[in-house]
Amino acid sequence: MHKEAAIREPLILGSPTYSDISNDVLHSIEHKPTKLWKVLMVIATIAALWGVGCILYLIGVGIGTWGLNNTVGWAWDITNFVWWVGIGHAGTLISAVLLLFRQKWRMAINRPAEAMTIFAVFMAGTFPMIHMGRIWMAYWVMPIPNQFGSLWVNFNSPLLWDVFAISTYLSVSLVFWYIGLIPDFGSIRDRATRPVQKLMYSLLSFGWTGNAKAWQRFEEVSLVLAGLATPLVFSVHSIVSMDFATSVIPGWHTTIFPPYFVAGAVFSGFAMVQTLMIIVRKAMRLEQYVTIKHIEYMNLVIIVTGSIVGVAYLTELFISAYSGVEYESYAFINRLSGPYWWSYAIMMTCNVVSPHLFWSKKLRTNLAFTFIMSIVVNIGMWFERFVIIVTSVHRDYLPSSWSMFYPTWVDIGVFIGTLGIFSVFYLLFLKYFPVLAFNEVKSILKSSGEQYKNMSDEEFKKLHPVFKKDIK
Amino acid sequence: MANSKKYWKGLEQLDNQSDFVETSNNEFAEHLPVTEFLEDKENLEDASTTRRDFLKYLGFGVAAASLAACETPVTKAIPYLNKPEEVTPGEANYYASTYYDGSDYAPILVKTREGRPIFISGNKESALTKGAINARVNASVLSLYDGNRLKAPMMGGKETDWDTIDAAVAKDLKTAKNIKVLTSSIISPSAKSAIEQLVGGNTEEAVEGEEVVDNGSAHITYDSISYSGILEANNESFGKEVIPTYSFEKAKTIVSVGADFMGNWLDALQYVNDYAQTRKPDNKWMSKHFQFEASMSLSGTNADVRIPAKPSEYGAIISSLYGKLGGSGGAKTAYDKQIAAAAKELKASKGESIVVCGSNDKNVQVLVNAINEMLGNYGKTIDVKTTSNSKQGVDSRMAELVADMNAGKVDALLIDGVDPVYTMGDSFAKALKKVKTTVSFATKMNDTATACKYVCPSNHGLESWSDAMPVTGSYSLGQPTISPLFDTRQTEESLLKWAGNDLSYHDYIKKYWEENIFPQSGATFFGDFWNKTLHDGVVEVAAAETEEAETIVFSGDASKANSAVKKIKGGTLELELTQNMAVGAGVGADNPWLQEMPDPITKITWDNYATMNPSEMKEKGYNVYFGQEESMNVIAVTANNQKIQVPVVAQPGQARGTISVALGYGKVVGNMETPTGANAYPLVASTKSGVSYYADATIADVELDEAYHIACTQTQQTVMGRDSVVRETTLDVYKKGSKEDYNPAFTLLSGDTDEHGHQIKKELKEFDLWGDQPVKNIGHRWGMSIDMNTCTGCSACVTSCVAENNIAVIGKDEVRRGRIMHWMRIDRYYSSEHQPLGDVGGTHTATKEALDLNGISTYTAMENAADNPSVVHQPMMCQHCNHAGCETVCPVAATTHSNEGLNMMAYNRCIGTRYCANNCAYKVRRFNWFNYIAYHKFTEVNPSQDDLGRMVLNPDVVVRSRGVMEKCSLCVQRIQEGKLDAKKAGSKVEDGNIQTACSIACPTNAITFGDHNDEGSKLAEARNQDRAYRIIEEVGQDGNIYYQTKVRNLKA
Repeated sequence: MHKEAAIREPLILGSPTYSDISNDVLHSIEHKPTKLWKVLMVIATIAALWGVGCILYLIGVGIGTWGLNNTVGWAWDITNFVWWVGIGHAGTLISAVLLLFRQKWRMAINRPAEAMTIFAVFMAGTFPMIHMGRIWMAYWVMPIPNQFGSLWVNFNSPLLWDVFAISTYLSVSLVFWYIGLIPDFGSIRDRATRPVQKLMYSLLSFGWTGNAKAWQRFEEVSLVLAGLATPLVFSVHSIVSMDFATSVIPGWHTTIFPPYFVAGAVFSGFAMVQTLMIIVRKAMRLEQYVTIKHIEYMNLVIIVTGSIVGVAYLTELFISAYSGVEYESYAFINRLSGPYWWSYAIMMTCNVVSPHLFWSKKLRTNLAFTFIMSIVVNIGMWFERFVIIVTSVHRDYLPSSWSMFYPTWVDIGVFIGTLGIFSVFYLLFLKYFPVLAFNEVKSILKSSGEQYKNMSDEEFKKLHPVFKKDIK
Repeated sequence: MANSKKYWKGLEQLDNQSDFVETSNNEFAEHLPVTEFLEDKENLEDASTTRRDFLKYLGFGVAAASLAACETPVTKAIPYLNKPEEVTPGEANYYASTYYDGSDYAPILVKTREGRPIFISGNKESALTKGAINARVNASVLSLYDGNRLKAPMMGGKETDWDTIDAAVAKDLKTAKNIKVLTSSIISPSAKSAIEQLVGGNTEEAVEGEEVVDNGSAHITYDSISYSGILEANNESFGKEVIPTYSFEKAKTIVSVGADFMGNWLDALQYVNDYAQTRKPDNKWMSKHFQFEASMSLSGTNADVRIPAKPSEYGAIISSLYGKLGGSGGAKTAYDKQIAAAAKELKASKGESIVVCGSNDKNVQVLVNAINEMLGNYGKTIDVKTTSNSKQGVDSRMAELVADMNAGKVDALLIDGVDPVYTMGDSFAKALKKVKTTVSFATKMNDTATACKYVCPSNHGLESWSDAMPVTGSYSLGQPTISPLFDTRQTEESLLKWAGNDLSYHDYIKKYWEENIFPQSGATFFGDFWNKTLHDGVVEVAAAETEEAETIVFSGDASKANSAVKKIKGGTLELELTQNMAVGAGVGADNPWLQEMPDPITKITWDNYATMNPSEMKEKGYNVYFGQEESMNVIAVTANNQKIQVPVVAQPGQARGTISVALGYGKVVGNMETPTGANAYPLVASTKSGVSYYADATIADVELDEAYHIACTQTQQTVMGRDSVVRETTLDVYKKGSKEDYNPAFTLLSGDTDEHGHQIKKELKEFDLWGDQPVKNIGHRWGMSIDMNTCTGCSACVTSCVAENNIAVIGKDEVRRGRIMHWMRIDRYYSSEHQPLGDVGGTHTATKEALDLNGISTYTAMENAADNPSVVHQPMMCQHCNHAGCETVCPVAATTHSNEGLNMMAYNRCIGTRYCANNCAYKVRRFNWFNYIAYHKFTEVNPSQDDLGRMVLNPDVVVRSRGVMEKCSLCVQRIQEGKLDAKKAGSKVEDGNIQTACSIACPTNAITFGDHNDEGSKLAEARNQDRAYRIIEEVGQDGNIYYQTKVRNLKA
């Protein structure tokens, strides 16, 4: 066993035993739901039903129930789509990229982050579907053999690339997440006492035996999937950004978009993980496993990606002025000083200015502050997409077509609905799934657990005569 | 031996088992155990299917069977049993006819499909109009299929039949002494003669407009918009109560004071094409047009010099001009500098100029006549011998009639073509009550018809026979293109019947022509003459030279008129009552196509409003912006002790101290619940000296409970200094400079260097990412060229496109939300303070300078129009880009490029992602946000929601469903038809044989459609001109639509 240097802060606080870890994580599965959970579930369900109602109304009556017009053909729909896809980036980044980099702190947060990713991608996928004028023809975007003669999809269209990128990302993320869940499901199955529960979890655990060979294969598969998932983290949002980058609309037609979108996505994804984890660790009493240190690490990621995003914004602004292209420069002048200046201001404040408050250690280790900041960042990132989509297209080449966008109650309802549906999924996950990858958390107990770190060498040797405490 | 083989059914048979033998014997048992079964009560009671269940099953079965039998209704296409000779399904027939609605006259060509008229275009054979029409003419085809039309005669508010009503009216008329027939100006000689039959005058005097006969019966002419001032002035000046004809094609200088001669003034349709001929900068000369006016009119937007002035000053301006041209006692005005400039131009083009004025004041018009006389325009550009008949109403006679009615001196009043209760209000309504017998011939219930005892609905124009002599010696015929849809009867036929003449009106016209017109024509056989005229629609007959031999001289008293004119005083706030291109005097008030047509200047639909100068509005704290959620201020306008409530909107160029409100709105037609807009007719001043459309007014703010919104299709007023969108220059620069001065090509630094090490600039096409079209210069490549110099902005093309392409009407609320479905729009740009008129480079430099000085705030300032802006009209539709942004982004390839250069939409394939619309640099794509042909929100507005309204749909164009994208197809159905015709004829498609709906509707031929690959075509010629450019060409979309730089007749 590899034991970390004492100078590194422990990743597991207190002195839990292996069984304590199992008990702590599986508490929610093995006990009746708490009052808080029930209350949240009711609220989330109401929001979700409201959203479903809005979507059904939209599909029944037409896209005209949104506030779009001849000039602004996309607004909240695609804003929400990109926002949700962006959020869906953190999970895979944490589980795949940090796995490859052997970051142990990922153990405590990869499961909830991945769950968030998958549900966020579900929500994201909803928007390109429902934004279609004829959703019943949605399957036409799939390159499948058809009876329409030689009709085929248009491989030039970035929207088609989106279809591939997102479906690939969703399936890989789902598989990766599920593979990780199998050992934990096995443990739950073994502990389960009620027959239905036992049956369900034994089905879910795919007959996990937990022997050394299984673990070894598990590790290998994880590594392979991490390798597969890593490029996807970068490709998905790059491709989403090409929806805009390949167009002719000033403000969309920008080569900087792919890296800028990826950084933004990680930025917003981590913010969303913060929002969720700060609630979850408190409500489910997981403070021992998701420590302030974890929060701080994520805040560091937020500083880095926030800075990248900030640089991208400024580059964009500079290039628009430097390019000498009338329309391009006007697009940015319009962002600054046009009728939507306030959304640009919100975006700039939330995304460029606010993350730098995290340079202060006091602030980035403060839970309440982090929680507020995580919400600020996600508001900022929503506005970033709104700024890019709406303020570019609402005033493009011909001034005669300039227009404004005003959301309707259906626009708002669908967005709130997706927040609701997401919350319903997430609450179900918290109740029925192992919230932390506790089998993996156990693997770092002795290397990064507080009680082991504080042990003297003698004590450690006594406990584990086979291993030597590495004090390098 | 063949049958010796034996097959067993199984081993049981082979073995001959006893139970097998038994069952095989019982296979067709004769005895059925029915009685046993029924007697066995116990067994029956235990059965799972009880009697009740059985009934349930039976009921369900019957219901299911009958449900299954209910199929969707089968729509049948039934072939003709006996095919009419001239009707071939799928092929259109065209008939020449005549449109006249009491104010607009146009010889037209009606396209019918399978017996249904579906499209109206101008008759290019006409020497008068040269095929010019306006939106009201081509949209009139929709009013044929209006469910609001009267479907049977009405007596006392109840439907009845013709025999009953004929008997009743005949009985009433028999005892009546003073029968008055009140009509709009009648240009039909036969109709006049038919009226004479009833009122018993003689036809000789018919031209005069009124004829008093012994029994007190008379025909009174009343025009909704009075031109009495001109008629009376000409009576005074020339001894003839006539409207002269104008030859704008000969006029080098045009000065118009408040006369919108390109829009609605007099016979605008006869002037507009002639005017456009003088606006071509490549001709020997280009006319110079001065316009003095209060509100921005269509003519004002096209003028070279436009000076805002109050209506009360029109007289003074004319007087000042009179003085500057050498008359004595010219008035002093604030515009003397501009008037002097106009006078200078006028003097330089004596005999080749026209001065017109929109005032209805006799004295002003006498002075205008004096000016034209001084300039020697009579006999050259203005003709008082060949006169126009389209306006014959004299105000005093109408006043006399109302007085007679009030005095009980009128026994019977027959009203056709006018709605005086609507236009004159209570004064007429009260008088009407005193008349015993009142008959209305209205096609739809209106205010007057409601107040009449008998309503004898006339046919729609497309169901009627008619003839017309709009101008001395020019005749046209109108023929029905469909049988009457309802139980209606043409007015003239009713009149003839009541006069005791049993001829059908068709026979009557024919007889009239044979007796009166044919003898003058010089033709040999009447049959041939009639057939040819009917086929051509128009005919010119040399007028019989009788009294015309003498020369007409000006004999008006100019100085007396001048002193009267100088006495005109205006208040601090003046009201001008105008007409717009959509509604006119009220003709389009209930036509959804016209209501949805954006006003050519304000771009507002579905509303009436007061226009005011934006800077003045700001002083008053009114909202000067347009937009979906912009709340407009509503004001009460009081004039002549009458009050109406209208929203107030900003109109750059409106004279300070004036407001303008359009007439023709607020008209209740049929069973319409609330009319569109407010009726401004009550504000018309009716005095002893005549009717005036100018008045002193006061305004007061009105507080509404809810925000008042305006449906405006263009919320940004200026072009923001974008040279590659609008290119304009002055005649000076155009004549003296080179293409580089006014229409420079786009270049980029290429990276290659010349011998001095400087980078070489190359044209944009050198940098194209795209490969050449594989079909370049092969086959056809369709395209258009649009001349911004001759486009007047009238918007006839917009409604024409609507009619041709089955474009959905969506109503005010949806237009307000920026969702108008029009495939073709006309962008109207005002200049801003930062956009000096004229030169391309200048705009850019000025913009740059302003930017350097004031930074970004300049952009905000540029969004506001100048106080008196110059105006550009730019028709905009799909540019059919060869490198189209829309085509690459569609995920399902629903929009693709044809090998003839067309950007095509496959509606069936479209899934509605709207990505193409976002990526269209011209924003010409239109999305079906709702199911416009069925959704309840559009029932009130979209005519395609009822069976009758659907009859106007063009069967060659599919009606789009919800959720798909649509846009201009360059009338691909017309292109296909043209190609097929050429193929059948075994020839090439000839240039000009294919016309799009917009190009055929354009009264000034500003739109040229053709084949880019046909080097000899007009399009190729236009495209290769120095003025030709493509909008935002530098973006590299390589469109097929070219525009011609606008050239104003100004010094640089």
